[in-house]
Amino acid sequence: MPLFIKYYYCVVTAANPRRGASVEESEEKLKRVGSVSRARRARALLGVAALSATVALSACGSSDDDGAATSASTTSGGGGAPVEVRFASWVPNIRNAVELFNREHRDIHVTLEEMTAGPDGGYAKLLSAVRAGNAPDVAQVGYDQLPAFLIAGALEDVTEYAADDESKFIPWQWRQGVFGDKVYAIPQASGPMAFYYRKDLFQRWGVEPPRTWDDFAAAADRIKARGASIVTFPPTQAPFFMGLAQQAGQQWFTPESDAWKVTVDNPDTQRMAAYWQGLLDRRAVATMPDMSTEWYKALQTGRVVGWIGASWGDALLRQGAPRTAGKWAVADMPQWQAGGDVVSASWGGGSASAILRGTKNAEAATEFAVWLNSNLDSVNLLLTDGYGWPAVADPRQVTGLQDDPTVFKFYGGQNIWEVFARADAGVDVDWAWPPTSGELYASVTDELKKAVEGGSLPEAVRAVQSQAVAQLKAKNLSVAGE
Amino acid sequence: MSSAAVDRTATPAEAQRLRRRRRVNPALWFVAPFGVAFALFFLLPIGYAVYESLFKTSSSGLGLSAPTRSFVGLENYGDALSSSDFRSSIGRVLLFGLIQVPVMILLATILALILESGRVHFKSFFRVSYFLPYGVPGVIASLLWGFLYVPATSPIVEVLGHVGVHADFLSSDTVLGSIVNIVTWEFAGYNMLILIAALQGIPDELYEAARVDGAGSFRIAWHIKLPLLRPSIILATVFTIIGTLQLFAEPLVLKPLSTAINSSYTPNLSAYNQAFSNDNYSLAAAEAVIVAVIAFALSFGFLRIVNRKGRSAW
Repeated sequence: MPLFIKYYYCVVTAANPRRGASVEESEEKLKRVGSVSRARRARALLGVAALSATVALSACGSSDDDGAATSASTTSGGGGAPVEVRFASWVPNIRNAVELFNREHRDIHVTLEEMTAGPDGGYAKLLSAVRAGNAPDVAQVGYDQLPAFLIAGALEDVTEYAADDESKFIPWQWRQGVFGDKVYAIPQASGPMAFYYRKDLFQRWGVEPPRTWDDFAAAADRIKARGASIVTFPPTQAPFFMGLAQQAGQQWFTPESDAWKVTVDNPDTQRMAAYWQGLLDRRAVATMPDMSTEWYKALQTGRVVGWIGASWGDALLRQGAPRTAGKWAVADMPQWQAGGDVVSASWGGGSASAILRGTKNAEAATEFAVWLNSNLDSVNLLLTDGYGWPAVADPRQVTGLQDDPTVFKFYGGQNIWEVFARADAGVDVDWAWPPTSGELYASVTDELKKAVEGGSLPEAVRAVQSQAVAQLKAKNLSVAGE
Repeated sequence: MSSAAVDRTATPAEAQRLRRRRRVNPALWFVAPFGVAFALFFLLPIGYAVYESLFKTSSSGLGLSAPTRSFVGLENYGDALSSSDFRSSIGRVLLFGLIQVPVMILLATILALILESGRVHFKSFFRVSYFLPYGVPGVIASLLWGFLYVPATSPIVEVLGHVGVHADFLSSDTVLGSIVNIVTWEFAGYNMLILIAALQGIPDELYEAARVDGAGSFRIAWHIKLPLLRPSIILATVFTIIGTLQLFAEPLVLKPLSTAINSSYTPNLSAYNQAFSNDNYSLAAAEAVIVAVIAFALSFGFLRIVNRKGRSAW
């Protein structure tokens, strides 16, 4: 803005004739200048006009397929041009699966548009694109955001095209994309959580991988005595905290017949909050943000020796802490009850391929989405690049889950997918996401930050409860009991 | 009436007057591109934001169906002003301005006076290097300083640690000061350049006359340079006031690194959060309009104060 003001100021003062000169003098000067350079002026104006036109046209002419069109798919000669489908995702290397689809399907051509990760602003961009009417046909949307997209009117009903595909997927993940018996999204993967830990350091210090949360607290103290932290409690990671709450027991949101029941502040979550508050008070855990430069450095130097993370976190560890290759192992998430089945949680629910409103090729888009997430070749390609735990009905068919040497080498040869298979089976499938999950995440993050700064986690949980109710009411939604 | 007819039958004075009236003011040709850009990129978005702020999107029941949009008048403004988070963000940014503006202007003035004192070697080198941070985009600058503030990657924190000082630049007590540091680093050179340009316009005869009267450098600076710099200092101050109220990029980039910065740390950050996390564009528009009105009021108020007694400075 200052540039505009300066420009205007300079121009206006320049256009005024010099103070003190008589009107006739300035008249004469302007007339002389005018007559001599009239031709020059005309040419100059023409030049300026041409220049501005060129600039304007080049700006308009920018194409909007940012991601390069994939593969060399030729238009089928006789049967008409292939149907164009635009697909936006941030999963690294999903291009490989897209290219495979294009090679195997001559009637549909998919163009990949790489986008910023959803939580980092990608979702906002998608919602704006839907409003503007130029959104991609299929997009990567997390399970936690599907209700929010629905409430924004951004999803397309594809029940007629997808009804037969239900059996291909795990039931609870299929239900994530279904609202009121209408199908809007095809599930891709979930994020079951387990405990990654530095096996070499645990062995050196004589610490057993913890089975229960009590074991975990004891291990944390012992590791603290060695000058390291067992994990970091990230104040910027709402899905982590919500995963812990999911594992603790009661869920936060329950859709009743026509209203939301909000029980963020429930005894199970409070028990979990009090437990972590104890760890924070004793400074038995670090409080740096995870998946940050600071955290990767801590992992490489052995300052942080564990991570309660999702199955796709494996790729992050391998890329971010390469110096520690071969020294890790994965154990089940610490449990509240000793013995019995493993109870785990899902980080942020998972990911789906949602068909966005305004798509002109819903049938082709749905066919692509179903293929991407259920075709075994595609799933194997995606698995190596860390996209999450597949939603296919029978994971045993996925060869990449049975034997994956590149991955297992990082964990000293351990088949970590067995641990995550157990975790996936132990995820509470009734956990529901409210349509206000964006606001919820922002609230949780703000409250976690306050708690780590010197507040308390139990207090943070109570604050999130009242804020969650207020957020639903602000959108004019019904809250049970209010 | 054709021009030929006028020239033949009118008196010389009348002809001159008619010619003058028919000529288009050449200034308009220069202002036209600015005018078009101003209307497109300034007036139009502001008008749209005000329009958007008068509506509200809401659903009902469980919320699993498309929402409806309704006209609500000034309700969004009421919601924004009654939110304690938003009010405290405005207070915070005013406090930030109270610290930032004097620090910035003082630093820019001192640097400009030093560089124009005639005693500095390699003057243009220093001028360019002080101006260089302005060429760094705000986000990149915040990222750079973020690395310098985070203990794990900061040489500053490490060196201070060796001498026994435990420095935490991102705690709730210090993060505002850290942001002041980043903004000053970015814009001091820019403001300094405005003041240097003004200083170079002061005729040397004044300095000669002052030296003849026996004034030393400091007296010259205080009694001659500063009063003549007054309009430029006021210009720089107005820009700085408007800039500090718009504080956005620095807290946004530092947000994942600091526990002290929440989603409504500054009014612009709050509006951004409302638009892109909460999908509430109407409330975001209302908050943005409120910030703009406050910036407008403060700048104009400041200009009124310094332009009292008919001494129009700008």
